[in-house]
Amino acid sequence: MKRSRIPVLLTWGVIAFLFAPLLVLVVNSFNASRFGGAWEGFTWRWYQQLQHADDLWQSLALTLEIALAASFASMVLGTLAAYVLHRYRSRLQSAHSILITLPLFMPDILMGISLLSLFVLGGVETGVLTIWIAHVTFCLGFVTMVVLGRLQDFDFTLLDAARDLGATRARAVRLVLLPLLFPGVLAGGLLAFTLSLDDYVITFFVSGPGSTTLPLRVAGMMRTSRSLPVINALSTLLIIVTFVLATFSFRLHRRA
Amino acid sequence: MDDFLVIDRVSKSFGSQRVVEEVSLTIARGEAFSLLGPSGCGKTTLLRMIAGFEQPEHGRILLGGRDITHLPPERRPVNTVFQNYAIFPHLTVWDNVAFGLRMEGRSREETRLEVERMLELVRLSAHAKKMPVHLSGGQRQRVALARALVKRPEVLLLDEPLAALDLKLRQHMLAELSSLHAQVGATFIYVTHDQGEALSLSNRVAVLNEGRVEQIGTPEEVYESPSSKFTAAFIGDTNFLTGTTVSAPHEGCVHVRVDGIDGSPWIVTHRLPQVLGQTVRLMVRPEKIHLSPQSAAVNEGMNFFSGIIDEVAYFGPHTRYRIRAGVHAITAQIQHGQPGSTLARGDQVRVSFHPDSARVMGMEVGG
Amino acid sequence: MRKSLRAGSVQWLLTLPSLAWLGVFFVIPCALVLLTAFRPADVYGGVGRGWTTENLTVLRDPAFVSVLWRTVWVSAVTTLACLALALPVSLHMARCGPRQRQWLLLLIVIPFLSNFLIRVFAWKSLLHPEGPLTRMLAGLGILTEHATLLNHVGTVLLLMIYTQLPFAILPLYAAAEKFDLTLLDAARDLGAGPWCAFVQIFVPGVRRGLLSAAVMVFVCSLGQYVIPQFVGGVYDEMFGNQISRRVFAERNLPQACVLAGALMLAVIVPMLASALWQRLARREAAP
Repeated sequence: MKRSRIPVLLTWGVIAFLFAPLLVLVVNSFNASRFGGAWEGFTWRWYQQLQHADDLWQSLALTLEIALAASFASMVLGTLAAYVLHRYRSRLQSAHSILITLPLFMPDILMGISLLSLFVLGGVETGVLTIWIAHVTFCLGFVTMVVLGRLQDFDFTLLDAARDLGATRARAVRLVLLPLLFPGVLAGGLLAFTLSLDDYVITFFVSGPGSTTLPLRVAGMMRTSRSLPVINALSTLLIIVTFVLATFSFRLHRRA
Repeated sequence: MDDFLVIDRVSKSFGSQRVVEEVSLTIARGEAFSLLGPSGCGKTTLLRMIAGFEQPEHGRILLGGRDITHLPPERRPVNTVFQNYAIFPHLTVWDNVAFGLRMEGRSREETRLEVERMLELVRLSAHAKKMPVHLSGGQRQRVALARALVKRPEVLLLDEPLAALDLKLRQHMLAELSSLHAQVGATFIYVTHDQGEALSLSNRVAVLNEGRVEQIGTPEEVYESPSSKFTAAFIGDTNFLTGTTVSAPHEGCVHVRVDGIDGSPWIVTHRLPQVLGQTVRLMVRPEKIHLSPQSAAVNEGMNFFSGIIDEVAYFGPHTRYRIRAGVHAITAQIQHGQPGSTLARGDQVRVSFHPDSARVMGMEVGG
Repeated sequence: MRKSLRAGSVQWLLTLPSLAWLGVFFVIPCALVLLTAFRPADVYGGVGRGWTTENLTVLRDPAFVSVLWRTVWVSAVTTLACLALALPVSLHMARCGPRQRQWLLLLIVIPFLSNFLIRVFAWKSLLHPEGPLTRMLAGLGILTEHATLLNHVGTVLLLMIYTQLPFAILPLYAAAEKFDLTLLDAARDLGAGPWCAFVQIFVPGVRRGLLSAAVMVFVCSLGQYVIPQFVGGVYDEMFGNQISRRVFAERNLPQACVLAGALMLAVIVPMLASALWQRLARREAAP
């Protein structure tokens, strides 16, 4: 029996479609043309300019700080949430599970405007703190789902086995559950990190003066069409970093 | 027999479902004991209560005279080989075996010696540095055994130890477990739904059904003299015939009439006092039945009747026949080389069995 | 009794952190949006005192109705296109060995780990009037000399599909992974052609994944506003642009909340209903 080749061809077509713009971007970061149209020769100029673009680096640093803090908080909250969702079957957990999944299906703009309403009506000045809160809120569900998936694969007789061999409940959790769950928690954390790094829409709603994250800065540059090739150069570097991070998290995911 | 492990009227429910009902067992030190029953009979729950993973609602569990009913699992001198083995996937074979000793806080040197000795015993020394994913099913089981035995438990619990293995390996491990039991000397308690495993592995067997103990005895006792229809049907194949006791020619002997078969009443050896005129269940194992041509002479003292072969199934070492005799259907199992091992469908045969190989039990026992 | 009481309070204690967080930063904000819709706007871009239904008139604006219609059809086309691409892709991935499967997954996810705006920007340079694609198409005579690929509703659609594609592939792949592929062989064995087996056996087999993929893509598309803003023309505005314009340009939060609240109800009510329906169905299925 011959299988249709259409799915294979489409898969690679889709992957090409996904990578095409990124490829253009990487090529353009070495293109001497200012507007990234035709190829006008190889240059390192945009990378040199990038070196001195202090505002971009500051934004990047801020973005990374927020992403680290947000992914850490959502890792803790999400792991706990996944544990109780897995451990208990009750009315409380049914409600909890709906509450965890709803934000995943919420359009970003609604998340942004609702949090903005909260901060405006609550008289909270928007800034780094409000961005962090927003990021933890939308990352929480994703981390919970990743950890929950890992918990569902976890064989709970291993905990019985540990106790049978003389471990107390706490030691069984520390020596068996946590090490086996850790790759899942870390994968969830990495997902949260990239989501936080990437977010523009929600951040735009809850940012204030002095809290310009990288996506906000890039959006500003796009709107004013200022030093666009420098964005190309920075993006190329970021793509390399995400590629490395993704491969790393992929390895983690597969090892366990 | 000393009362080493005593299970005293233990009951356990999950929700509204009673899974273990007033079970009492006494197991001697060093014994190999099996809890045998179909799935859902409560045997695993009973095992988990001995291990300490479940608490009974009523009753006590005593080990060497000490009440361990409410002791947490980590403080019992009892270790378990889990059904799926529950090998820690993130630890090497060596670390899996060392886990229990580390929990006890044993010295590094002592741990090393004990683990090495144990790995040698289960012949896994060459695999000590491997991760569990790289082991075969049989090797994983031996890790589970080593990991439990290294703690020198007073009682080793084995939950369906052979269920996950293929037939060839199962036969091999059967012998291995028996020799391990002889070497270690601890009390082994097996949980199994496989009667063959239970009969060959243990000194005594408890047959469980719906949370209750049906019968406790040696493998011979439960096989040869089942006390209930359930035990008789669950352990091996059995022909059941309903009849009436008509007379008792002398002590330990009874005549049973089975309607719809010529040749009865039959004489059956019976140890229990029997009320005449009672409806009883007559039980004969298929391998106790002899077949001979209709014309052949019948040995003195045998019960016999005639029948027609309905079905023949060839099994290699033996052949199974389904025989129609009046309104009844009888199964017979004949070893090759024995008389009657080469009959064909439609043959008229004489079916016979010795009075000693049949059992009579009252109708009310075991439903 | 005492034990179950303790277990209950432990459960509450462990659930509290995430529950409280989402209560304060998700449930209350959503409720506030619905409430703010009935507040007057004050002249400084804040929220005034008292209550009013005046804001609701924005829903009857004819210009708004046409935006709403565009939002719905753009989202619908995006959803259909994403599903049409994602179904065969997920089938192929399910057919691959575990190793190759994970690499494919990685390849599909990686472009989405790079910044969303950077991807939009990359498309802008790819579709740039002097960019490679325009030149190629013009060279082939498909495009006229000064035509542009940007600022067009088609461009908006293209980017929407591009952005939403992984949200269709991931749930479908999860469903296809669990799908028993021998069913397709069985269908072929019984005389079905590849297309027929795909439509009649595979698609129903992954319908759960299909449903969540469709909901995910459609809902996210409804709220999209960055893509029309950056690559769309003046007349390609979507619902989200209306909201963001009222927040940032007109600084009228209550009016924005009317629109956001309407969208929120349109998103949450069907989802809660389907969750409830599933629960009832499960309870009925259970003995």
